[in-house]
Amino acid sequence: MNQEKQTKYAAVGIGLFLAAAALCCLLWILIPSAGGGGYTADIYQNGELIQSISLKDADQPYTFTVTGENGCYNIIEVRPGSIGIRDASCPDKLCVLQGFITDSRLPVTCLPNRLVIRLRPREEQSQSNPALPDTITY
Amino acid sequence: MSHRRLTALALCTTLALAIYAVESAIPPLVPIPGIKLGLANIVTLILLRHTSLKDTALVTGARTLLSALLFGQLLSLLYSAAGAIFSLAFMYLVNRLLKNRYPYLTGAVGGLAHNAGQLLTALAVTATPGVLAYLPFLVLAGILTGLFTGFCAFYGDKYLLRHLRWLKD
Repeated sequence: MNQEKQTKYAAVGIGLFLAAAALCCLLWILIPSAGGGGYTADIYQNGELIQSISLKDADQPYTFTVTGENGCYNIIEVRPGSIGIRDASCPDKLCVLQGFITDSRLPVTCLPNRLVIRLRPREEQSQSNPALPDTITY
Repeated sequence: MSHRRLTALALCTTLALAIYAVESAIPPLVPIPGIKLGLANIVTLILLRHTSLKDTALVTGARTLLSALLFGQLLSLLYSAAGAIFSLAFMYLVNRLLKNRYPYLTGAVGGLAHNAGQLLTALAVTATPGVLAYLPFLVLAGILTGLFTGFCAFYGDKYLLRHLRWLKD
């Protein structure tokens, strides 16, 4: 009888824990992130930042290709305000199906090619990297 | 290992593999890597309830290895092995705590642990903290799909149960 009760309490505890975890995740997904000043896209390959693109500066859509080991590639398309993967060498093409992202909530990831595209609000960049002239000539 | 036990374990592995094969024919429902129903977990759950941890680990391990060899690549073996080890460990503990009852709760914990293990592996492989952005999606999906497979095990285990007595030998 006592054991019966213990099992029940354990079940209720685990059930409550799962419900709380699910609720937290739901809130996390639904509450949008702030980012009024446009975003900067950071492209990571094998965990290293290989390129940063300001999406606000892109007034014309363009594509470029990122290649990796064993001839794998991802064709990335930059549009004004969004970025995504057009085509890729990975077998499942999940990265292409993830479409174009417009905010920092979810990155575009290609696990087979170890490529991640993340967006971060632009302000951060301007603080850490103040506007400098490209070259100075005398 | 007696012939009967070997045969029963092999049959369970085949069943899990067949379920896995059917599931991999279903196109991905959401374009987030790592989210799937995990129907093969039904077999793991039923075995965990009615046999020992050793038998369950044998069947789950064989299924994970074979499914990666038959349907995936080497990298997918890494992910599925991490998921399988995590979920089996947590499901074993929870199932013991719940005294073999409420398999849907065990399943939900297993789904959650599976996805958490895979995300940690992805974090280690890609070395990008950015993949943690998937955490809420994967946790939520793990709980929901785990509940589903748990209910499948709850209603399905009477069909498998009469074959499992072989494992008692």
